[in-house]
Amino acid sequence: MTKESRALQPAKSRGPSKLARGEERTALWLLLPSFLIIAVVALYPFGRVVLSSFTDERFAAGTDLRGEFVGVVNYQRLLSMTLRQVPAVVDVDTGERVLRDGQPTFENPRLFLRRLGTSLPLDAVATFRIGGNLWVLGATSASFIRSVWDTLVFTVSSVAIETVLGMIIALTLAAKFLGRGVMRAAMLVPWAIITVVSARIWEWMLQPTRAGFFNTLLNDLGVTDGSYAFFQTAALQVPAMVAIDVWKTTPFMALLLLAGLSTIPGELYEAAEVDGASPIRRFFSITLPLLMPTLAVALIFRTLDALRVFDLFQVVYGEARYSMASYAYYQLIAARNVGMSSAASVIIFVIIFAFALFYIRALGVDRDE
Amino acid sequence: MRIVLLSLSLAVALALGSAVAQTVTVAGGAVGQELELTRAAADRYMQENPGVTVEVLEVPDLADNRLGLYLQFFEAQSSEVDVYQIDVIWPGDLAVHFVDLYDYGARDVADQHFPAIVENNTVDGRLIGIPWFTDAGLLYYRTDLLEEYGFDGPPETWAELTEMAQTIQDGERAAGQSDFWGFVWQGNAYEGLTTNALEWIASNEGGSIISPDGVITVNNSNAVEITDLAASWVGTISPPGVTGFGEEDARNMWQAGNAAFMRNWPYAYSLGQQDGSAVAGNFDVRPLPAGDTMGGEPAATLGGWQLGVSRYSNNPELAADVALFLASYDEQKVRAVEGSLNPTIMALYEDADVLEAVPFFGSLFDVFTNAVARPSTATAPNYAQVSSAFYTAIHSVLTGQEDAETALALLEIDLEALTGFPTGTP
Repeated sequence: MTKESRALQPAKSRGPSKLARGEERTALWLLLPSFLIIAVVALYPFGRVVLSSFTDERFAAGTDLRGEFVGVVNYQRLLSMTLRQVPAVVDVDTGERVLRDGQPTFENPRLFLRRLGTSLPLDAVATFRIGGNLWVLGATSASFIRSVWDTLVFTVSSVAIETVLGMIIALTLAAKFLGRGVMRAAMLVPWAIITVVSARIWEWMLQPTRAGFFNTLLNDLGVTDGSYAFFQTAALQVPAMVAIDVWKTTPFMALLLLAGLSTIPGELYEAAEVDGASPIRRFFSITLPLLMPTLAVALIFRTLDALRVFDLFQVVYGEARYSMASYAYYQLIAARNVGMSSAASVIIFVIIFAFALFYIRALGVDRDE
Repeated sequence: MRIVLLSLSLAVALALGSAVAQTVTVAGGAVGQELELTRAAADRYMQENPGVTVEVLEVPDLADNRLGLYLQFFEAQSSEVDVYQIDVIWPGDLAVHFVDLYDYGARDVADQHFPAIVENNTVDGRLIGIPWFTDAGLLYYRTDLLEEYGFDGPPETWAELTEMAQTIQDGERAAGQSDFWGFVWQGNAYEGLTTNALEWIASNEGGSIISPDGVITVNNSNAVEITDLAASWVGTISPPGVTGFGEEDARNMWQAGNAAFMRNWPYAYSLGQQDGSAVAGNFDVRPLPAGDTMGGEPAATLGGWQLGVSRYSNNPELAADVALFLASYDEQKVRAVEGSLNPTIMALYEDADVLEAVPFFGSLFDVFTNAVARPSTATAPNYAQVSSAFYTAIHSVLTGQEDAETALALLEIDLEALTGFPTGTP
């Protein structure tokens, strides 16, 4: 695609010929309808979101008022962060640190942050121990900052696992064997299931009672007592989302890579085999480089998709844990705060845009070779 | 010929015009038998009022999704829906979108309903919704197990419940029932936890989070005490997974015969008595236990649904008539007898037909008159955020991330920032 369009352009050194200029004009006219459609379906709504992110508009406020302009207040509320050292608990009489089990004790970081008396209360995003001191990262919208972090972790881990698994499945299904067609169709089943439904299926399998598959299994293996609460254990909440997403989306990855594999000419492998290249060598020297454009497209698709994750988090966690998108939804529907929701959406857009730019640069999607 | 055609088209136009003007759309729930009951009631209205069409629009089961749908109608100021079925916690937030039913003849019937619900539905003196059916938290208990373990009756206080649940659970586990738990309830981080925790706190003289006159009362020692007690249930008399339980999770465990006590809404009663339920005939309901403070009294959080008439309706007068018809004595009686949906009209709790069909309604009367409203009216339009802050704080105690004292202190600061209300004692 890019090759052809570049090929049409004249070499820069000679300057555009008359013919080329005429072609450019025609091209502009031909592109105009697309631009208009994009302006209506993308630019207008996006512009509207950007505008309302600077207001205090309420959703379904019941008046014709569109809310007051409040400047960057919504962005401040979403992004304000501060790093503070949590004071140690000090004995009033001796002036020395109070120890528990030989360790210094600290004030409750969340209470400490709230008592700083900032105009908007700060909550803790995370705490770290550096040396003998306790530090806390505070934010005015701790749940938003956490949602950004969780979504990034979710995206990186799910896309990485999906790529590896998808590659393995694609390589397997690219080989010729009996029943390959059936296998290829069967592979797609998880992808065909609506996300909301697959989220519900997994929710049931991970139920905190022995009515759930995993609790029964782990109980039979003697690992748990059959009432392990997967979705309520904070450390397992994001990994659970990753597991569901990997199950659902690996087929998509495999399908894209399979399509890429089928474009690699078989002669290359035959030649390599004649030259005595090992299967591993063949993979890294032939398959991977030639698959790179497909892989880049698949990675971009999946990454941008994963960054926008909404349904999984919304179905399973509701307001117990947010992705970036489900946080924006919470601000709009539950809190009815159009301004905050819009500001969150703009930030999501910027993050996704940054990822897209990174991919285009790092994977050389825009380069000709 | 031309005249015939003209008059014909005129007649058609008139008929169409009147048909359009005379259509009332009711947005109603479809949980259990709700939809069939509402459709049947609509048919009865249409029989009595020829020329009027009442359509029922089916809305999502989950209250949060339902609110999302309604808000989109309101944002567009749509006249598509005339009558909305609204949750007991919404009148404060949505008041601006509804007409005052007192202007449409509700004054004559309002005093038949539970005063607490009417008060809840009244915003600045305007009646936002006519009560349709109600809900209140109840304690379900296993009569057979209480007898087997030698208890005289169901627990009166939370401490008693804790003890009895432990005894029965230990006994049943020893008898080989390894999935048996003492007490199941709704501990997931959602609106249901707000209703559960409000019951604990209110029954222990800890107030109702924010008082009706706008004072943040939640940070007090009685509230801390009972919240700590509730946190001690998790993993002892209640499964560790209870912090992920909603109504149906609790009911499933209960109905499979795996729990001695359950906190739930009245809907679980008829389902528990049906064929195939392991507890059919072996359980009863009573008000939830009281706190252990001197003046602690049982408290049940008020739930339930109202009918409000949209301000954007093309025919609010007719819509109000439909709403008042659906919520009338006769119609509520049908819903009580056929669907065991709790009436909001007090006299129906003494109606022989109702009591025969659903005997436990008799013992519920006191529960409904004492029902504690969530602070939705006082905190409007911020109730959703107040509730979210509250259940998040309680959930952090249940999961052991925070102790109750710290969590409620944090909550108080958050609620101050959110509402701008002063703090005080309940």
